[in-house]
Amino acid sequence: MTLEMSRLFDAGLMVLLVLCALAVVRTKDLLAASIVFSAYSLVMCLVWDHRGAPDVAMTEAAVGAGVTTVLFLSAISKTVRKEK
Amino acid sequence: MKRALVIVLLAIVAMPLLAAMAAMPRFGSAEQPAYTHVAKRYLERGVEEAGAENVVTGVILNYRGFDTNGEVTVIFTACAAVIAVLAGSRNRQDQREAASSVPESLVVRYVVRLLAPFIALFALYVVLFGEVSPGGGFQGGTVFGALLIVMTVAVSRNQAERLLPLRIRPWLQIAGPLSFLAVGTAGVVLTGWYLGFPQGATAATRLMLMVLEFGIGVGGATVIASIFWRLGDEA
Repeated sequence: MTLEMSRLFDAGLMVLLVLCALAVVRTKDLLAASIVFSAYSLVMCLVWDHRGAPDVAMTEAAVGAGVTTVLFLSAISKTVRKEK
Repeated sequence: MKRALVIVLLAIVAMPLLAAMAAMPRFGSAEQPAYTHVAKRYLERGVEEAGAENVVTGVILNYRGFDTNGEVTVIFTACAAVIAVLAGSRNRQDQREAASSVPESLVVRYVVRLLAPFIALFALYVVLFGEVSPGGGFQGGTVFGALLIVMTVAVSRNQAERLLPLRIRPWLQIAGPLSFLAVGTAGVVLTGWYLGFPQGATAATRLMLMVLEFGIGVGGATVIASIFWRLGDEA
């Protein structure tokens, strides 16, 4: 990959990250917010790997996209789904 | 009047701060102190000094072992806190049977059963090869923890829980801090310092790194699964 392409890829990921973050904050439906948050983690995982940190990317994929989402979901199932 | 005074005061405070910001090395610049001393030393001599071919592992477990020791303790404390706060569920056996009678997709169940051994093998690979390739105890541990969660959801909680027998589960939960205690004590014997490693890639260093990786992996996986299971219990 050329440097320009790499930069473009990075920029695209950053835009996606910001969009995901805004969506998480703005959504009132907590279930949808958790799922978008897991998408955020997936994009973040790509960023880590692209920046040469595969160790962190692996952790982000397993913890951020996987475990955190599951914990959020089980917390939602014990409380309420809609944000007041 | 008061407002103007505040603005003037803020401006006076802001000026030296902004001046200091301007004097700092540029963001991402190679001149930053972090890149000129420590990072260089790690990259040039990390392999021979820390005894791990993967420099990241060398930094995390050897150079900055104290940081990792603290992190592992934090993870264990989180687990203990969740279990303490959500304690007090009675007749858990009934609930487990109730939970496993939830209608599930046959396809998902079959695929999870098919993939489970491979995921477990991958987790073990990530832990074992943390010294030479990206990964390590924590990464492998989270993969295994995620496998336990998937098995709980798709197959049955009883089957997943059987992998971490209740009798020894507290020991598995504290495996991270315990392995650091063991290796730290070994360091005291070998070098005179807590968490001190012998120089270079000696057999002792390798063994100490491996014990830490396994302790972190087992502890991480158990903590993740325990928190999930405790959240699933009816209060």
